[in-house]
Amino acid sequence: MSSDIVYENVVKNFGGRETLTALKGISFRIKKGELFCLLGPSGCGKTTLLRITAGLESLTEGKILYGSNNVTMIPTFRRNIGMVFQSFALYPHMNVFENVAYGLRVRKQSDKFIKNKVTEIMNLVGLPDVLKRNPSPTALSGGQQQRVAIARALVYDPEILLLDEPLASLDAKLRRYMRAEIRRIQKATNITTIYVTHDQEEAMAIGDRLAVMNVGVVEQIGSADDIYNNPRNIFVANFIGKMNFFNTKIIDIKNERYIVELPYKKKILEIKMPKNPEMKDMLKENKDIFIGSRPEKLTINKNSDKGLLPGKVQIIQHLGQLIRYEIKPLWKDNAELVEVDMGFLVSNIQEGDKVFIDFDRENTFLFIK
Amino acid sequence: MGRIQKFFKQKIKQDYTPYIVLSIPMVFLLFFLIWPLGTTVGRAFIERGQDFSLSNFSFANFDRFFTSTMYQRSLRNSFLVAFSVVFFTLLIGVPMGYFVARVEMPFKRVMLSLGILPIITPAFVGAFSWIILLGRQGVLRYLINRILTIFGWTLPPIYGLFGIIFTMTLVYFPFVFLLSHGAFKSSNPLLEESAMIMGAKNSRILRTVTVPLILPSLGAAAILVFIRSIGNFGIPAILGGQQYVLPTLIYFRVNGFWDLNGAAAIAMISVMIVIIALWMQKKIISSREYETISTASSEHKLYKHPIIKIIANVYCWFILIIALAPQITIFIMSFFEKWRGLLPIGFTLNNYLSIPQIASKPIFNSLYLALTASFFTAILGSLIAYIVERRRPKGAILIDFTVMTPFVLPGIVVAVALLTTFSSGPIILSGTYTIIMISFIVRRTPYVFRSVCASLTQLDEALEESSLIAGANWFYTFRRVTLPLILPGIIAGTILTFSTLLQELSTTILLYSSKTQTLPIQIYNAVADGKFGEASALSVLLMLTVFIFVYLMNIFVGESSSSGLKLG
Repeated sequence: MSSDIVYENVVKNFGGRETLTALKGISFRIKKGELFCLLGPSGCGKTTLLRITAGLESLTEGKILYGSNNVTMIPTFRRNIGMVFQSFALYPHMNVFENVAYGLRVRKQSDKFIKNKVTEIMNLVGLPDVLKRNPSPTALSGGQQQRVAIARALVYDPEILLLDEPLASLDAKLRRYMRAEIRRIQKATNITTIYVTHDQEEAMAIGDRLAVMNVGVVEQIGSADDIYNNPRNIFVANFIGKMNFFNTKIIDIKNERYIVELPYKKKILEIKMPKNPEMKDMLKENKDIFIGSRPEKLTINKNSDKGLLPGKVQIIQHLGQLIRYEIKPLWKDNAELVEVDMGFLVSNIQEGDKVFIDFDRENTFLFIK
Repeated sequence: MGRIQKFFKQKIKQDYTPYIVLSIPMVFLLFFLIWPLGTTVGRAFIERGQDFSLSNFSFANFDRFFTSTMYQRSLRNSFLVAFSVVFFTLLIGVPMGYFVARVEMPFKRVMLSLGILPIITPAFVGAFSWIILLGRQGVLRYLINRILTIFGWTLPPIYGLFGIIFTMTLVYFPFVFLLSHGAFKSSNPLLEESAMIMGAKNSRILRTVTVPLILPSLGAAAILVFIRSIGNFGIPAILGGQQYVLPTLIYFRVNGFWDLNGAAAIAMISVMIVIIALWMQKKIISSREYETISTASSEHKLYKHPIIKIIANVYCWFILIIALAPQITIFIMSFFEKWRGLLPIGFTLNNYLSIPQIASKPIFNSLYLALTASFFTAILGSLIAYIVERRRPKGAILIDFTVMTPFVLPGIVVAVALLTTFSSGPIILSGTYTIIMISFIVRRTPYVFRSVCASLTQLDEALEESSLIAGANWFYTFRRVTLPLILPGIIAGTILTFSTLLQELSTTILLYSSKTQTLPIQIYNAVADGKFGEASALSVLLMLTVFIFVYLMNIFVGESSSSGLKLG
């Protein structure tokens, strides 16, 4: 019974003395059975979009469709959806069974049906034992409350499942475990699911596809891999993972290869990119642009022949599987510290040493300023 | 055509129950609060006996404030009483709050519980028991005068302005005591400790850190005391003698001349004083309100110096004993016929035994009126709180303001407003149970409203939203989720309503008829007739009932600690 979700030019203004535009005309489609993440910094409109999808907020303009059904004017309680709230919103005045059974009681199901269904769903979320004691949800641990909340949202086979930062109130270790669990449960039920989070790692780990949002617009939609390796703009590049930016100028374009001039001794770098076709028209000779590189795509070396840009090592952080070098630029550019992740400890480099940074030509991005 | 049908289909799919249910309290407010208040303002500008029309507009009713010395003195007295009572309650209450919060001493809980007693004792009971103690033949006055005659002095009887201020101070100082105690106790101790670390002495810390931080609480307490003391009818009516204040003047105007328009003018003046006081309080306090940021919940270090402990204990118990003297006096008095001079005379149980015979009708009336009014108040207050907190319509602040208006209006003003509106014109209610009930509901809705608002703000809105998500409509959600979770707040507010309505005097004094006479009226009349034994026995009965209900409320409020209801 699960269905697509279609947004057509969704605009949301919040009234008040000054109108605040939370969503600025959003259109996209979430596919049936997909686990879709809405990702963005706080205030980007992701929660508003989720609440609009649930009918908890009205929209100023545009349409929302579940499949081919226009639900824009349908009140929440007639939409047949499930939702897990950040605070879980379990009813403290009902026991766990009644919490999970709530949606079924609303649908006036028989006691026997309810009992079977609740047992089944509690098995699915991995809490079969809790029903035996059947305590108040307040007596459960955070992880258990989370599972009860998911069970309650799924028990009546909703068309759509909405998750609003469901892991935000759990501790780090439990979060990692539960996100895998949520993915498992979602795949088992195959309900179209929207998952809102501000944690890019969580979104990349869990989502089939994600939408990166910023100040009321969708910046990019795609799979985690796609977005990480082909960020469309500076915001996305910086929000999904870390990106180092360098001021450069295009001096030549030769058959899909871009020659850029670096801000140090007019050194030259040849880049194969961009992968974004729509950007091509804007890249012209003599244009000032940014080039960007992921920390793990940069290398450092003491030898000036094996690097292009000079810098001073400020801090060396041992992060387990990698070593992070924070480099202060020594070219005349008051840029931020450059982060370089090496897979190993470079034996002759200490904090305070002068080093040279080199680029991976295949994995350097071009960005419009 | 198809489009129109589609439109209606969609509209019908919406849930309209909340709009229907929630419009009921709005209609009530409009009809029984806004309309009467509007009528009162209008009538204040019409002379007695004239028709209610624009051509009869005049300031004649206000002229008396310029021409009549009685009016001028009443106005002056009201000011004098209200400001003096605020001053003295602060003077007595703040040190007590500070001692109980910051000095190590035994029986703190007992002190705090006893501190509530004067507030929940009917004010007029305090007044007449002070007559027993300090009246013309009062026992205390007798004792004190025996000592004073040595120096050639005598203590005058308690009647007059001094008596009013004295009694009101003792009745209302607990507001200051309890509120300042809470503020002293809950302010962040780290702020004082850091001042100490920076080298400030105790007196400097008190002056520059401690007191400024509790100023908002003191402001709240002061305005509460001001509103209560300027609106109190019972105390000046019993102790005032020749000295009138605005509420007794209103009573005099209505009872003596049946001049509702004149009374409306006086009511307007007294409301204006309250508004000015509120405005002043906002002005003084608003610039000084701080959010105290407290990360760790640490407790204040208590003073343990023996001298400080002795001073604190003696002070607190001395004040408490004086403040509770009325309760003790009334209890003793209720078993005697007379108490003039040193000891009461004529032990008797008659005062109690005669209650069924003389007071069964008033007792029934009081219970009936308080119960029914509490029931409606509970519904009305809860629904309005729900509207303001959950529906948040555009004029939510206006609704909030309207509901809270009767909280700051003197009770007798509400009575005047209802009388002016419903004793003539299309709907005549004077002398009925209904008009008293309406006055009760209007006056006490703020209690339930505030209580339920507090419950609702602590209730995670996601709980209700998740019910809608699960497919439940508004009514189902309200019944299964919202209502059970705010019930403790409703019950607490309702019990407070009920127990204060049992002792209500300042509205009923204008609204009662022989048919609808209540217990407080009966007591008031017994006092006026000098039947102190009878009045005492009835007061004891009333106080006991009120205490029981307040005790019940404490149990409920204790359980409701609604933060426990918040998950996640």
